[in-house]
Amino acid sequence: MLLFRAEEHIDRWCAAHSLARGAILTPQQGWWLAHGWYKEKLNPEWRRHTLEETEALLAEVGLTGTFWNLR
Amino acid sequence: MTAYLSPHGTVLMSALTPASVDDLARDVRLYLFRQAAATAQVPQAQQIAEALEHPVEKIHEALRQLATGKVLILAPNDGDVWAANPFCAVPSGFRAETEGKIYWGICIWDALGIPAALGKDARITAFCGDCSEPMSLEIRGGKLVQSEGLIHFAIPAHHWWDNIGFT
Repeated sequence: MLLFRAEEHIDRWCAAHSLARGAILTPQQGWWLAHGWYKEKLNPEWRRHTLEETEALLAEVGLTGTFWNLR
Repeated sequence: MTAYLSPHGTVLMSALTPASVDDLARDVRLYLFRQAAATAQVPQAQQIAEALEHPVEKIHEALRQLATGKVLILAPNDGDVWAANPFCAVPSGFRAETEGKIYWGICIWDALGIPAALGKDARITAFCGDCSEPMSLEIRGGKLVQSEGLIHFAIPAHHWWDNIGFT
């Protein structure tokens, strides 16, 4: 997951790597995703998110559709 | 069997539920993440072995167990810890500075995950994946208060762990 200056930079990178454009997040979405994913990582009782928990997090961040399908 | 997810999302249907992770693997996980958070340095097997007073071979075994459960990522050749996500063991293009310490993430998601895990303010610096121009984001008080650019996920979520280094 990389940071780019703008969409045309993403398209240039994708072309250089012969990849289709994937999914684009705003930095705000990236922060929400990172916060939801890692906020408990230092808790001694931390455990991996369940499938349902992760789907809920992705949906909260607005990441829906085939690209984000985990099943 | 409960479905659990790896740190980056892939569904795991293994028997590696928290209840079956043995005590040493748990101790290694706790020590490793606490040290990484406190020092900004991800400890390797020898340091963990000395701290927990176990043979280094047992620590390697525990690290492999944690890697299998995708709690952390081992380097492909030497078995060192590459990343105890969100903390990367080696400098990368994704830096998070907080309270005078420099942490590294393996990607922009993990760089943002560092202040999330620490619960601290941080300045994230990274480079445009295309033109290498430096960029920055700032987390303060649990909020993103300054940012620029866009984040791109090249690989669909279901395939992130096919090649986590590229992802």
